[in-house]
Amino acid sequence: MEEILKKRRTLQETMNFMAALSAGIEPILGRGASSMTMSAGRNLGRKFSAAARRTDDLLEAVEEVRNILLANSCLWGFEPFKPKDQEELITRNGKGQRQMLLVFRDCMIRQSLLRFGHPQQGSLCNMMYGFFAGALETIMGKKATLEIRHAGENACLKMLTVEG
Amino acid sequence: MLEMTINDKACRGCQLCLDVCPTQCFSFDVNTSKARVAILENCIGCLSCAFICPSGAISHKHHHEVKNFYRNIEFSLRMERFL
Repeated sequence: MEEILKKRRTLQETMNFMAALSAGIEPILGRGASSMTMSAGRNLGRKFSAAARRTDDLLEAVEEVRNILLANSCLWGFEPFKPKDQEELITRNGKGQRQMLLVFRDCMIRQSLLRFGHPQQGSLCNMMYGFFAGALETIMGKKATLEIRHAGENACLKMLTVEG
Repeated sequence: MLEMTINDKACRGCQLCLDVCPTQCFSFDVNTSKARVAILENCIGCLSCAFICPSGAISHKHHHEVKNFYRNIEFSLRMERFL
């Protein structure tokens, strides 16, 4: 128990420090702060998914991302979401890109941002976008984006878009 | 199964919940000038509606509640230098 508490404390302190750091660099770097964290997330996604199974199926790829996170002890729970009036989980936009809504519940970024009252949808949130982009790029061989549709207090809704 | 209720007596009909909900769970009853839960299945449990409601009329049950990081006094004292 003591070991778990120690690990949680370490994670918390690191994340709180990250939140403070990102909030601090945003006014200085402007849009560059988001690019920096996005790039860091993408690199992490690429590294983590280097040995992942390759697939072109979006659902399988998302499942693979989940497995990668679990294998690396990242508790970043997310689940696909289908609104009632939408027929399929995966839809296509006007550009022919595949899209899927994801709900993020337990997120260490949100948990640390809210702890010190930092705003959501900032540069640190872009790290998750980068992670998905990097991981899906490796798994599917296609460019991906993770747009924040809604940043809530208890859950966030994001739109995953994959080319082709 | 997630439950969401709006206290009719508390609802002022400001429609902030309709504006903030990302999945259009709510509708507005023009006759009573109050918000209604229209599509509960669409609720993702973000709780933004409950947080934004000025009269605290919206409540949720059986939802996944995220435990935010707790306050660590020792760490906060160290962080004060950076914030």
